[in-house]
Amino acid sequence: MTSFLNAIISGLISGSLYAATALGLTIIYGVSRVFNFGHGVVAVMGAYLAWTILSAGGQLNMLLGILVSLVVLYIFGTLVYRFTINPLMKKPAWDISTVLFLLGGGILLENVLLQIFGPRVKSIPLLVEGNLKLGPVAIQLNDLFLIVIVLVGIVALNLFFKYTRLGQAMQSIAQSIPGAKVVGIDIERIFGLTFGLAFAVTGFSGVLLSTKYFLNPHIGWEWMVKGFVIVSFGGLGSTNGAIFAGLILGIVEAMVTLYIGAIWVWPIWFVIFMVVLLIRPQGILGGRL
Amino acid sequence: MLELNGVDGYYADLQVLRQVSLVVNSGEVVAMFGPNGHGKSTLLKTICGLHQASAGSIKFEGKEISSLPSHKIVEMGIAYIPEERHLFRDMTVMENLKMGAYNRRARPSTQQNLAFVLEVFPRLAERKDQLTSTLSGGESRMVAVARGLMSEPTLLMLDEPSIGLSPGMRHVVFESIAKINREKKITILIVEQEIRNALKLANRIYMLKKGQILFERSAADVNVEEIEKAYF
Repeated sequence: MTSFLNAIISGLISGSLYAATALGLTIIYGVSRVFNFGHGVVAVMGAYLAWTILSAGGQLNMLLGILVSLVVLYIFGTLVYRFTINPLMKKPAWDISTVLFLLGGGILLENVLLQIFGPRVKSIPLLVEGNLKLGPVAIQLNDLFLIVIVLVGIVALNLFFKYTRLGQAMQSIAQSIPGAKVVGIDIERIFGLTFGLAFAVTGFSGVLLSTKYFLNPHIGWEWMVKGFVIVSFGGLGSTNGAIFAGLILGIVEAMVTLYIGAIWVWPIWFVIFMVVLLIRPQGILGGRL
Repeated sequence: MLELNGVDGYYADLQVLRQVSLVVNSGEVVAMFGPNGHGKSTLLKTICGLHQASAGSIKFEGKEISSLPSHKIVEMGIAYIPEERHLFRDMTVMENLKMGAYNRRARPSTQQNLAFVLEVFPRLAERKDQLTSTLSGGESRMVAVARGLMSEPTLLMLDEPSIGLSPGMRHVVFESIAKINREKKITILIVEQEIRNALKLANRIYMLKKGQILFERSAADVNVEEIEKAYF
């Protein structure tokens, strides 16, 4: 019973982190219909940025690291859009050329990170120390904190999409590009801001993941593939779908690890992934931002 | 108010607009007739910046707009109501209307404009919290027109607003267009197939065939047979 409860809890923790990883992917796709194949490397870049500030040591703290990472990635995202994706989207077959371009860009960035930081594993220290004992179950406070951060982030994103002018513009574009043009939305400007927002969110998810797992220049691909499965399960373009799918797949992972062994996690994930694609290609919840 | 001179338009290699010149004066209702697939919709899309003219000039209130992006044109006061409506399906009626007031010029008067569109389309007040994907065809059309009005246009361009509607609903739509023109002094350029209904509204008409203006008439001189004949 205790191991079952522990598994559920660790499933919820990793699930919410996976959901966080998937958010950036789903936001960009939802608004611009571009699938970011360099997604995982962006998360890794965010984590390295925070790590760099942290390891500069002294009075520089975690919060500053996260802040720098958010700002730099926001700017990076808008620049990537402005100078590469925007011109690509004006050409025929942009949907496939942007995918290939971003894949190539991801590999390039991965190797740049490898040059700068080397292949050795780094880790970001826990955000909070200590344990919480609930009867037979012990939860690391850091894990609890991660879940809270992810939940707050999700709620904030939902409020942003629902109540801000910019969020509503993003939703409008997600639902109808011609409709958005007709009401006078500057599509290209909003695409740029969307890339900025999604890159910042993605980088932040990388920071969170690196407090729980390890960080190296190559780990982004694994994160991206997980994000991949989650968005196809929850509906590409749907933020709430990503959370829902992240939690379910996190619990699946924990249960599989507990009862049949960790090496079965990916095969089972991918069976789910392919079955969902075959039966409901729009995802379980459909594609609402 | 709106002046087109020698406008050409292409879809890939296919020329759909040939040397189109026309004028819409302030306060007028101008109807555009013509067979399907002869360039009427492309013409409206070209005016509002959704489609690029390959030659010619488009002037709105004296300013050249043919190379401006659509959001700038909306901000200048042209609203285009596409035949396909292009509503935001997962948003409520009210959210759709508020998106209509997105441009900087219309935003301050959102409340007054909202009051006016709900007066023109009382049905939308009843449906305000419903998602637009749950509306009937006629109601969706009302949302499309109302959303366009929320941008506070001085020129409203409608692409076949009555298509696919029941006779009763068509009547409502035409009545509303008349009211918009009469009470808000909004100039109207309407593309229609419902010739007789549109003639009741229009001050002038143009006939567009094979991408060219075939003739122009003032409402007083219109001869319905002449228009119908031009369709064949």
